[in-house]
Amino acid sequence: MSGALLNIDNVTVSFDGFKALNNLNFSMNEGELRVIIGPNGAGKTTFLDVITGKVKPTEGKAYFKGSDLSKHKEHEISRMGVGRKFQTPRVYLNLSPRENLELSANRQKSVFPTLLKQTPTPEKRTVNSLLETIGLYEKGDIPAALLSHGEKQWLEIGMLVAQSPDLLLVDEPVAGLTDEETEKTGKLLMALAESHSVIVIEHDMEFVRQIARQVTVLHEGSVLFEGTMDQVQNDPRVIEVYLGQEATVTPEQMLILRIAASMAWADDNFAPVQQEVILSELSRQFASDPAGQQALREELQNYLAKRIPLEELVPQLQTPQQRELALKLSYEIISSNTINETEARVYQRLLSLLDLPPETVARLEAAALESLKS
Amino acid sequence: MAVDLPIQPRRTSKALRQKRLLIEAGIVVAIALVLILVMPLVLTGFRLGLLGRFLSLAIVALGIDLIWGFTGLLSLGHGIFFALGGYAFAMYLQLTELPAGQLPEFFSLYGVSSLPWFWQPFYSLPFTLLAMVAIPAIVAGLFGYLVFRNRIRGVYFSILTQAALVVFFNFFNGQQKLINGTNGLKTATSVFLGQQVGGPEMRYFFYVATVIALALMYALCRWLTSGRFGRMLVAIRDDENRVRFSGYNPASFKVLVFAVSGAIAGIAGALYTVQSGIISPQAMDIGFSIEMVIWVAVGGRATLIGAILGAVLVNIARTMLSERFPDVWLFFQGALFLLVVTALPDGIVGWVRSRFGDRLPALFGGPSAVPAYVAEMELEAESYREKELADQ
Repeated sequence: MSGALLNIDNVTVSFDGFKALNNLNFSMNEGELRVIIGPNGAGKTTFLDVITGKVKPTEGKAYFKGSDLSKHKEHEISRMGVGRKFQTPRVYLNLSPRENLELSANRQKSVFPTLLKQTPTPEKRTVNSLLETIGLYEKGDIPAALLSHGEKQWLEIGMLVAQSPDLLLVDEPVAGLTDEETEKTGKLLMALAESHSVIVIEHDMEFVRQIARQVTVLHEGSVLFEGTMDQVQNDPRVIEVYLGQEATVTPEQMLILRIAASMAWADDNFAPVQQEVILSELSRQFASDPAGQQALREELQNYLAKRIPLEELVPQLQTPQQRELALKLSYEIISSNTINETEARVYQRLLSLLDLPPETVARLEAAALESLKS
Repeated sequence: MAVDLPIQPRRTSKALRQKRLLIEAGIVVAIALVLILVMPLVLTGFRLGLLGRFLSLAIVALGIDLIWGFTGLLSLGHGIFFALGGYAFAMYLQLTELPAGQLPEFFSLYGVSSLPWFWQPFYSLPFTLLAMVAIPAIVAGLFGYLVFRNRIRGVYFSILTQAALVVFFNFFNGQQKLINGTNGLKTATSVFLGQQVGGPEMRYFFYVATVIALALMYALCRWLTSGRFGRMLVAIRDDENRVRFSGYNPASFKVLVFAVSGAIAGIAGALYTVQSGIISPQAMDIGFSIEMVIWVAVGGRATLIGAILGAVLVNIARTMLSERFPDVWLFFQGALFLLVVTALPDGIVGWVRSRFGDRLPALFGGPSAVPAYVAEMELEAESYREKELADQ
């Protein structure tokens, strides 16, 4: 595609015969925020290495703003406007956050301007406002070695921004962060995405859901799937590579699971007992032997942490049987602890969406209470 | 992260930094004056000569500290640059005051009848002074360019510097017809500025020149290691690959700083040569280049004052010990190095700094890892005092 900011054209990277990237095609427009996911060894980091010039493609070409990246060295690519944040925070530990940022903000990066010129005032101002943004203004002048892990992550993101790149590459920004820090990092990235093109590589699916618009799934060095987060999560091939086995859950079963999870989330409190109900009920429904049930339980557990609006999910149910099952399961879940007002409201919404005859509803609710007792 | 601090810390103010810099310059000048004016009264001529030599070794230590302490490049071959500077000056001294058409004496021993071409420019004093600095710098820059461009780092770099040292040593050692081979060039009886180099007046002259050169090289290194360039060196030491992805080419920074370090070693070599009376391939002995590194380690890496102290103190210890127990020096030096590496990883200055912290003047490297707000409170207190004074 012409006019794309980044265009990876049939790139293969092989290390001694092992293909880290295999005929990979990828393209991204200016202003886009793209999340790349994939199991370990899918080639995500190699993908970034190709874009930043650390690794040259064995075959194929990578273009940034139309120029061939294999002809440039790392620092030249960086000056062209590609900024990279590494997986583990890599900041200069013996320099202060301010000095770290000043080095990145420097516009003339050859030897003699760096040696002979003072940091210009506009750059100093940029650095100050960046320190504010990443919340390190108070700690701007202590050695970066004294910062916490999360602060180092932010400092490195700040260093990226200081470079004022056109494309930001961010490799697992929330690895090892607390929930609060993760959320903050997500906000920071979203803010950045408003004025930059961003590629984020991430494992943490919860975080991906927070920030993702368009997701690319890598597998064994190639693009497996591209689409929105919901499409990705429902795609059987993606599920298969993520769990490293045949998908035992059909998309329909997944849907029912999702509805059940939404019910459980209704009061913003997903109690362990509710999770237990969903898992045991579903594994019983979908697998016959105990070993199969156990495997399914583990598999399902991975999908429970998502919240998707019911309005999106319910219309996707195809058969009356599925609707009935969804209702029964949902009722079981909210009945597993005392039903509160929010849960009741959400349940009413579900009922109206499902649009089942009243006598069926009554029958299913009774059955649900019965199976809950046992 | 949002730590509640009593005062919003800001950066050390410009005025305070300038004040610190002035104090530091004052201390350097004072030490230089003591060395120049007082030491000759205290020490005998022989001891003063030794001190002069040690101070010239301190200059090469500064160069080592610049590349090792700050940039993380461990060179085990600085003897090359030291010797090149020494040879440049010694060649000039062989030719000066020589009747026209006559060759330095040693050439006749090997049946050389005309001066080798590369000796010709050394008739000129300005060229010699330039060559003393430029030849080591160019050799270092070229070596650095080839090595750093190919991203050779760490221990491989150190091995290469040592290999280069052996190459240079063998070349100088074997070339009797060009530079008198293993015998080296003697300078004691040569005449410089109308005086004999080995005579008392010239010895004092070179001693003063060494003190001044040391102060100037200290200022140069101080300038290089402060400011953005200095932080860049530290960044290269901390994480060279990160530097690339920030848009810098670390190789060019390393080439420059290695060349500067080579030039500094060249100046040191020239001053050492005239004060010891000879330059020979022994200056490119492997042990000597390793000793240079030991001085810096003992004094404290990445602290310029540490490099100077280390070079002077280790050499004083060496002289005192080998005068009494001629055989033990090498054992002592080995033990000293082990002690420093195991017990004082930051050297003498690092130890002093960690003991006495901030009460040291900027000469000792300035305030180290103090939380910014502490410095800020001091600053506030100071400006408050100033205000009080103004009110009175």
